[in-house]
Amino acid sequence: MLKHFTDWLAATPPSHFLQDNQAWAIPTIQTVHLVGIGVAMGSAFMLTLRVVGVSGLDQTLLEAQRRYLPWLTGALLVLLASGALLTLAEPAREFFSLSFRLKMLLVAVCAGFAVWFGRSVRSNPAHWEERRLRDAKVRAIAAATLVLWVAIIFLGRFIAYDNIWGALSPAAQSGQ
Amino acid sequence: MDVHAYLKALQQSGIALGIRDSLYWFPTLEAVHVVALSLVFGTILIVDLRVLGVASTRRLFRRVSGEALRWTWLAFAVAVVTGALMFASNALVYFDNLSFRIKMVLIVLAGLNMLAFHFTEGDSASWHRSVPVPTLSKVCAVASILLWIGVIGAGRTIGFTIRGAAAKEAPPPPDIDFDNFLDSIPDAPANGQ
Repeated sequence: MLKHFTDWLAATPPSHFLQDNQAWAIPTIQTVHLVGIGVAMGSAFMLTLRVVGVSGLDQTLLEAQRRYLPWLTGALLVLLASGALLTLAEPAREFFSLSFRLKMLLVAVCAGFAVWFGRSVRSNPAHWEERRLRDAKVRAIAAATLVLWVAIIFLGRFIAYDNIWGALSPAAQSGQ
Repeated sequence: MDVHAYLKALQQSGIALGIRDSLYWFPTLEAVHVVALSLVFGTILIVDLRVLGVASTRRLFRRVSGEALRWTWLAFAVAVVTGALMFASNALVYFDNLSFRIKMVLIVLAGLNMLAFHFTEGDSASWHRSVPVPTLSKVCAVASILLWIGVIGAGRTIGFTIRGAAAKEAPPPPDIDFDNFLDSIPDAPANGQ
């Protein structure tokens, strides 16, 4: 079933174009992807430091959110586009990778959380500043999201090595 | 001892052998390297964008750079350590790789650009909204962004241009003699990318 889909995707003209030009296309798209990761991580990191109270305390949470969150979501859109192109270039490699599946799950969780966080802070900055940020549990959750972003990077790099999962790798199970 | 003999000794060291023999070491080093480079680039970009007047413009330059650059240095140190370990695992191949050499040159240029920036900075402690940033400092900020993107691009290209790249990004066939790894691989066209 999934194999039919990846075979079909790999036979489409855009996929063919990427396959025919993979020598320069893949490293170039991956470089764009890495630059996007840099923007996303830098933004998520500095915003989290403000939330947990480590640095950036000269600005309000609302100001910090305004500075970093648009860059995070903008970078995520670049990552989505470049990641889609990489998937289009090698559909079976991605869809039959456990790392890829776990990564997509975590990306959905983290991106959803970031969007919710931004909306919540904008709609009630005082509540966040005066109540939530004084709650150690809230700060711990913020720190945990940073761990999840790091996990996403690990899983992204591990797509190239899905054999590290052994029998858990879908590629191993389906004989890809 | 010439450099190639030294590199050969390096890649036959216990730690290099351990990295090559393990299924997990190299991917893990790469992943930590990506986390580190993302923080290097991401935090430097925050400073560069402040210099260019694009973002964080309501805050003092010194404050923005102070809180960001300490993490840049820490992340850079992590990138150097993980990079050095990956280099050691296949030292002769990396040393002769054009993308690797371009990457090293770009890192040196980025460092020189950082020094140049400090000379243009002048009395920057007081930079804030009402004090215009010198044009030369802005030139350095643009150069910084471009150089680090170049470093990332050259770094990513290494994996596609080394001889034996296929053995790296796929499960190694069981009969590869890692002790004579280089001799077991036929010569590829030199850095065709």
